[in-house]
Amino acid sequence: MCGIAGIHAYLDVAPAVDRGELERMNRRMAARGPDGSGDWLSPDGRVGFTHRRLAIIDLSEAGAQPMHSADGMLSITFNGEIYNYRELRAELQAKGYAFRSGSDTEVLLQLYADRGTAMVEQLRGMFTFGLWDARQRLLVLARDPLGIKPLYYADDGWTLRFASQAKALLAGGAVSRDPDPAGIVGFHLFGSVPEPFTVWQGIRAVPAGTVVTIDASGPSAPQRYYDVASSLALRADKADGDRADARLQMGAAVRDSVRHHLVADVPVAVFLSAGLDSGALLGTMAELGARDILAVTLAFEEFKGAPLDEAPLAAEVAARYGARHIVRTVDRAEFERDLPAILDAMDLPSVDGINTWFVAKAAHEAGIKVALSGLGADECFGGYPSFVDVPRSVHFLRPFHFLPGVGALARRLLTAGIGAGLGIHPKAAGLLQYGGDWAGAYLLRRSVYMPWELDDLLDPAVREEGLRRLAPLSGIAAALQAGRRLGDFDRVAALETSLYMRNQLLRDADWAGMAHAIEIRVPYVDPFFLAALPAGRVLASVDAKAAIADIPDPPLPAASRARRKTGFVTPVGRWIAEAAGAPPGDVSFSTASRAWALRVWQAGWAGPASA
Amino acid sequence: MSTRVLALVSDCYGVGGGIARYNQDLFEALAEGDADIVILPRLGNVDGSTLPKGIRQLPAVLSRPLFSLIALWTAWRLRPVDIVFCGHPFMAPVAWMVARFAGARYWVQAHGTDIWGPRPAIVRKAIGAADMATAVSRATRHSLLGWVDLAPERARVLPDTVRDMFAPGPRSDALAGRLQLGPGPILLTVGRLAASERYKGHEQIFAALPAVRARFPTLVHAVAGDGDDRARLERRARELVPDPAAVRFLGFVPDADLLDLYRLADLYVMPSTQEGFGIVYLEAAACGLRVVGGKGGGSGDAIPDGRVGVTVDPADTAALAEAIIGQLARGKADPTAVEPYRRAHFAPAARRLLARLKARPRRMKGES
Repeated sequence: MCGIAGIHAYLDVAPAVDRGELERMNRRMAARGPDGSGDWLSPDGRVGFTHRRLAIIDLSEAGAQPMHSADGMLSITFNGEIYNYRELRAELQAKGYAFRSGSDTEVLLQLYADRGTAMVEQLRGMFTFGLWDARQRLLVLARDPLGIKPLYYADDGWTLRFASQAKALLAGGAVSRDPDPAGIVGFHLFGSVPEPFTVWQGIRAVPAGTVVTIDASGPSAPQRYYDVASSLALRADKADGDRADARLQMGAAVRDSVRHHLVADVPVAVFLSAGLDSGALLGTMAELGARDILAVTLAFEEFKGAPLDEAPLAAEVAARYGARHIVRTVDRAEFERDLPAILDAMDLPSVDGINTWFVAKAAHEAGIKVALSGLGADECFGGYPSFVDVPRSVHFLRPFHFLPGVGALARRLLTAGIGAGLGIHPKAAGLLQYGGDWAGAYLLRRSVYMPWELDDLLDPAVREEGLRRLAPLSGIAAALQAGRRLGDFDRVAALETSLYMRNQLLRDADWAGMAHAIEIRVPYVDPFFLAALPAGRVLASVDAKAAIADIPDPPLPAASRARRKTGFVTPVGRWIAEAAGAPPGDVSFSTASRAWALRVWQAGWAGPASA
Repeated sequence: MSTRVLALVSDCYGVGGGIARYNQDLFEALAEGDADIVILPRLGNVDGSTLPKGIRQLPAVLSRPLFSLIALWTAWRLRPVDIVFCGHPFMAPVAWMVARFAGARYWVQAHGTDIWGPRPAIVRKAIGAADMATAVSRATRHSLLGWVDLAPERARVLPDTVRDMFAPGPRSDALAGRLQLGPGPILLTVGRLAASERYKGHEQIFAALPAVRARFPTLVHAVAGDGDDRARLERRARELVPDPAAVRFLGFVPDADLLDLYRLADLYVMPSTQEGFGIVYLEAAACGLRVVGGKGGGSGDAIPDGRVGVTVDPADTAALAEAIIGQLARGKADPTAVEPYRRAHFAPAARRLLARLKARPRRMKGES
């Protein structure tokens, strides 16, 4: 896991690659890779790569990057891990390919030589890379199927630049900081910036599950090789077994995924909350024979002795599986001390990620380099309330969706009522207008602000242009395009996996983890794992989220089942609201995230002052 | 099989000016490949003169409604048309319609001031529907992407090309004798003196001249070009520069003399802020002149690095004077810096764009 960047001056008139710019991009990503740093310039000066290394597999110098093929015709800068690299390596060796190192990076080079860009379909893992094919004079940028690792690019029409962080592109000094209204509106609507947009006009994300190739005429459109909705549709073809079969399939899928995610030449730890997802990971690790597992739990001073305190139950789970348990307590003072560093590390504006920041910080203090996280379990097992709310909303309110004007009128009346002190959440006013179709109901469920509320927050021109360019409802609907009808469970799973998990959770896990040089591995976020699970309708019928508790042997303690909750809970919302002047006490999460969203945006993103 | 291109342009053969010349360079590069190009212009007639192989130009049609009808008729007559090329963003709605009608791929070309800043919604939609948009500079592309909803990879840059006639050479004694510009050094500015093009920065040069002449007392600023703003500029020159001999208005300079004029001068100065590209900078540099351009617009693309010259903020008179003095001290421009703009690079780049466009599927009838 590392930080990568590169520059390709593809048009003849473009000046050759500036090594200084590469160095500036590299320096901005220093935290991502404390174990090494390297760069490479092609002999003609038209391509340059740089790399920050966090050594996990093949710790020797043979694994250093950028790496080149033996004939020098292929060069790569790679970020991530390929969990099936040993299998792929064996296949390639059988075909006669010779290897010089034990690294997964070299497997990528040889696999490309063998299969071209179609190689990405063989990879199990999290990855982004830039690969230069000197023979074809082609730059290949690729990103993993679900978007675990980020990759951004900026094309000015002469030169293309890419990096693991948008802020690294800006730090190079040659990329425009002009704001992109689509990304700005996207952040205010969703609390995270929906890809491929960023808050800068000149910078785009390489979408998850796509490859972008750059030849002498510039970059191609992103070519998709994986999408969630289609793969869930394919999975729906599986025959339904009985409940016991379904549980067996789930258990086998989790064990297979955890086994793959333990591939490393350094110890692998786990982020442990009191929830079922991370507990099941720890239990499975132990079952697979991992010893002396370090488990890290975050605790908050405010929650000590209260039911929200995760530490006691986490300790029970850790003890059950023989893990060494580290409990790290965070208080408001530490949060305020870290806030400038948090905002600096945050690559794109986000309303989340603080919890990951602190648990990664704790892991780093404990000498950990790699940790498994339960991120993604709610998306695949249906753990969110949205799996119930969104289909219900669509089924009940669909008639209003086909009555033009009624929803909008109701929204205006209710908004006026809310303004006059009607004690309901501002978003509720949009129920009739948005709740009757999938995209609208999902927006209503996940949004921080709704489109009609942006008038008070953003310049009208930015709001109008941003909404037009972003087209939020079409963007959401696109996540459901599978070429055929999906069931309710799969629809919500596709939306949560392609939107919330990708744009919010995974992006936050990257910047907050990498700021502390922690590689966060996510066994529940894996296309091979998703495909091995039973069909969505089966998962819904067996209450898959609860069934996770029985996956490890021995199963999770009864107290864990009794405490069904998702992931870590932090008092950050309260800290923020209190810092913004709210009276101390309980602040609802939704209101708190609005305050936090505004605080984050005020840190300054677009324009010359931000970096 | 050749690629049939219907080009709807404001002007091409039979007319002077930067856009006409760009179109000629582009079409000739494409025709050298396998393209068969039919041009429908709004201005300019070829009157029987021979055009390069693979290029035909129809009689010009000024009237907009008639132009649209004839464009549709031509697309029908030439069917199948592979590509509809639109040479000016204002014609994009017509070109879009013709491309849909013909089931052809659709290419929009943007130069500079024609797309700076938002245009009517129909123009925005019509450009946004393009299979490919090309801009002459990075700045023009950036500006276009700022208001048109176009996927960035569809917006490409194809810079102007410098014709091979522009190259270093001996000074023309005849021209020197005729102009009588004195011992120099000579600053040169070439461009229309139009009230609509005051961004070219003549006045800013006049303002900087006293400081420059303090260092070079015999320096002369030669202003080539004519236009409706000339009288006003002459007056401004007299106000800003005490010595009347320091600024010489040469009037319109025919193409035949332009090359000799570049070779006679010591530095090309035009601190323009709104050049779409600024081909004159490159022509000057190709003749060996260093150049001082203006920050803003596409000038940075014609002056990519210090081998050719510098760009300055024209409002900063002291910086402009300093840039002129500094560039005069550095002598000649490095001619290798101009090489990537030569035809040998331009033509393959143009043909690569055509190939890229052809790789896209033909649009179905009625598809936007």
